[in-house]
Amino acid sequence: MQTYVIMRRGAWRTPDEFRAAAERSAAEADQTPEDIRWIRSYVLAETSGELGTVCIYEASSPEAIRKHAYRAGLPVDEIVAFADTVVVHADPQPLAI
Amino acid sequence: MNPENAQRKVDGLLERGHALALLEAAFEDARSGRGRVALVTAEAGGGKTTLIDRFCEGRNGSTRLLRGACDALFTPRPLGPIHDFAGAVGSELAERLRDEAIPYQVAEALMDEIHGPVTTVLVVEDLHWADEATLDVLRLLARRIANLRVLIVLSYRDEALEARHPLRVMLGDVASGLAAVRVNLEPLSAEAVAQLADNHDVDARELHRVTGGNPFFVTEVLAAEDSSMPATVRDAVLARTSRLSSDARAVLEAVAIAPQQMELGLLEALAGARASALEECLRSGMLTVAGRAIAFRHELARLAVEESLPPDSRIELHRRALEALQAQPPDSQDLARLAHHADGAGDRTAVLRFAPEAAAQASSVGAHREAAAQYRRALSYAQSLPPEERVVLLENLSDECYLTDEADEAIHSLLTAAECYRALGDTTAEGATLRRVSQIHWCPGRVREAREIGLKAVELLERLPPGPDLARGYGNLASLASMEHDVPRFRDWVERALAVAAQIGDEETTSWLTVGADLVDAAEGVPGAMEAFERRIDAALESGRERHATGLIDGLAMSVRVCSPTELSRARLEKGLELTQRHGLELTHFYLLAYLSRLELDEGNWTTAADLAEVVLGERFSSTVPRIVALVTLALVRARRGDPDVWSALDEARALAEPTGELIRIAPVAAARAEAAWLAGDARAVAAETDAAFQLALERGAARPIGELATLRKRAGLDDGVPENPPQPYALQLSGDYAGAATAWNALSRPYDAALALADADEEEPLRQALAELQRLGARPAASIVARRLQERGVRNLPRGPRPSTRSNEAQLTIRELQVLELLAGGLRNAAIAERLFLSPRTVDHHVAAILRKLEAQNRGEAVAAAGRLGLLQDRQPAKPI
Repeated sequence: MQTYVIMRRGAWRTPDEFRAAAERSAAEADQTPEDIRWIRSYVLAETSGELGTVCIYEASSPEAIRKHAYRAGLPVDEIVAFADTVVVHADPQPLAI
Repeated sequence: MNPENAQRKVDGLLERGHALALLEAAFEDARSGRGRVALVTAEAGGGKTTLIDRFCEGRNGSTRLLRGACDALFTPRPLGPIHDFAGAVGSELAERLRDEAIPYQVAEALMDEIHGPVTTVLVVEDLHWADEATLDVLRLLARRIANLRVLIVLSYRDEALEARHPLRVMLGDVASGLAAVRVNLEPLSAEAVAQLADNHDVDARELHRVTGGNPFFVTEVLAAEDSSMPATVRDAVLARTSRLSSDARAVLEAVAIAPQQMELGLLEALAGARASALEECLRSGMLTVAGRAIAFRHELARLAVEESLPPDSRIELHRRALEALQAQPPDSQDLARLAHHADGAGDRTAVLRFAPEAAAQASSVGAHREAAAQYRRALSYAQSLPPEERVVLLENLSDECYLTDEADEAIHSLLTAAECYRALGDTTAEGATLRRVSQIHWCPGRVREAREIGLKAVELLERLPPGPDLARGYGNLASLASMEHDVPRFRDWVERALAVAAQIGDEETTSWLTVGADLVDAAEGVPGAMEAFERRIDAALESGRERHATGLIDGLAMSVRVCSPTELSRARLEKGLELTQRHGLELTHFYLLAYLSRLELDEGNWTTAADLAEVVLGERFSSTVPRIVALVTLALVRARRGDPDVWSALDEARALAEPTGELIRIAPVAAARAEAAWLAGDARAVAAETDAAFQLALERGAARPIGELATLRKRAGLDDGVPENPPQPYALQLSGDYAGAATAWNALSRPYDAALALADADEEEPLRQALAELQRLGARPAASIVARRLQERGVRNLPRGPRPSTRSNEAQLTIRELQVLELLAGGLRNAAIAERLFLSPRTVDHHVAAILRKLEAQNRGEAVAAAGRLGLLQDRQPAKPI
């Protein structure tokens, strides 16, 4: 497994749409644990009012990321290889959006 | 599953509650028509059989139970486990086994058997000892049970499988499916061991430490009822046997020389009157009754007893077993067993008789690794054999090794055979053998050696009066020249070969050479040659010569790839895949699969292309061509999408291709590396990536690589001038007719190449078209390059491209149905979809029916249209009007 960053910009119009997508995403990832693992996501408040995400996943290949996205109905703008982590402070508390 | 529960004892079984529950859940799925595969793994003595026994006891009469096991024979019986349950099922399967059918046919018969309303549990134990044919059958079966009421339970030791063990390959295939569940049995905990040791006079903590919690080891120590702690399993077993009478020990020793079970008759022949002590052995629990035979309860115990036998008694027992088995009627003789005991008895004559016979039998059912092992066994007794008999064994061993992709040993055996022929003064045979050595050097990419040895063979044969071997020797050099795309040399060798063949009236060689010459014409783009060759394939198919047709398709696919941008048609490639599967021609199958993955890439079906490339890369063949093609395809899918991990694949491809010096392997890698560099914005690297390959292509006059590489180089700003006669559409593109080139690429169904042709234009309109098409294809890096060019020309308000909207999958299609839909939209027939997804055509029919129902469509066309509207198609998003 390798780590990848996935950009999904402006993908959802409402928090409800986003939440439904997150549920599908988690359920799909559970189907093939040896191929994909969803680590975390940062949700973006786009200027257009839509929501987007920057996601961190572990996966066996970029194709596994795309397959998962396809099955869960998520867009993929860009997959970027991951080099390292620098953690300075803990993540902010999740807000209920 | 409540973890508490897993710790508790399940009817006398300790710490196996969770494992049993996994099997039960898989069984429930199977009962409701969702076929499953359960992989039960543990170390030796880890309790696999005990667990499976318990699971099987829990089935009732309404479940059909088929149970078989693999033998610990050095060379197992081919299809042994399948034979085990053939008695319990219909006559079709038994007939197939009697006819020594190939794995594909055996799997078919089994499929027919388990198809139906009755739930079947099919168990094959000790798969780490399985022969290749059994693994093939199980693999074919596992791919196709998704909608059947069947649970396949496979058990094996996972600790000692070498990387290239065929079981690994099979498991890779099976375990990647959604239907597989893994049941791993961990060693017993200290608490469980303490519970078992209760009422015994042992230190439970020490017992856990020494045994590592291995259930078999623990049981043996406790059964020995000896207060001293044995250091190894072997000591524990022997401590236990030492408490039996000497007659009972004699029985154990006799049974120990048979790695599977032993019939009572044979036991009597070995143990004489002492066989009456069998009862004592059964009572002690060391032996168990299996049908009309007896066996050790555990293989570890058998090994311990066998190893403790003094050499002279062991040889004596094997000798008597051999004698007794030979006395049986010939049609019930088991050749693998005879060879095993002959070897154990050190009986040279018997080994040299039975091992080759057992090898031939194994080979005929496709168990080539076992066949090779039997030939090796025979050869270890063959030092004093006259050379004319030894060469037969060597040549057969080489053939089996070649089929199992053990290229080094195949080569070594044949070279030894050639030495034998030299010793015999048989120059014709020596030359013919060296020609074969030359041929088998090619697949793993040892091209220079192939040429050198091929020339040596011809030199030898030229000293003799012209004969068929000389003609074939020239023919071999011709085909090597064609792989190097050295057409003048190819024609020269063919001419010489044809002259010899005509002189001696060798029609077979003449017709084979004509095929080769036609192939080169087709690849060179000689008008009408391709069509003529395809008619040749059709004629072979019509007259039922399927293997011949497969060879022709393979040859055409490979040659055309290097030479012409028009591909072998999809229909013939798919026909070739069907044929190679049916005839068990695995290596050729993977060549064709690799070419199909490239075809999918070229036609813009990137997801399918990557899927197929992954299948090819999952196999380890020493033949490098399929791997190179698959690596290039996967890297280009990633590069064109702008995904990471491009260069690791391309570096491996280059490392495989470069040492061969062959254009057929080098040119596609160079072109892919140039494209990836250009897409990454590093146009300056294109020269370095392509200089050598381009030079070689020019030297050889290889039309397609010249056109492809020249186009890439021009795009990167290199000025080579227009090379002589590049093929279309490269010629149009190099001459600056972008629109013409785009139209030509589109006519070949290659949308990405068409878009890039337009991207080379200077005017705004073709650039806009290129951008829209690249955005539609999801070609992010190329789209950004074109967008930048438009911006440089002052164009504003560029479209962002059709953003794939969030797919909701409102129609509730399953993953499998989505896959089928994708292929259906690509115009594939159901049979072709079945092949691609490794499903049975019947299953695909069901999926297609479900898709039509869910999409409320009357026919396939409507379904594809509806899927397009709903955004369900991955590669073919609804095209925006350009």
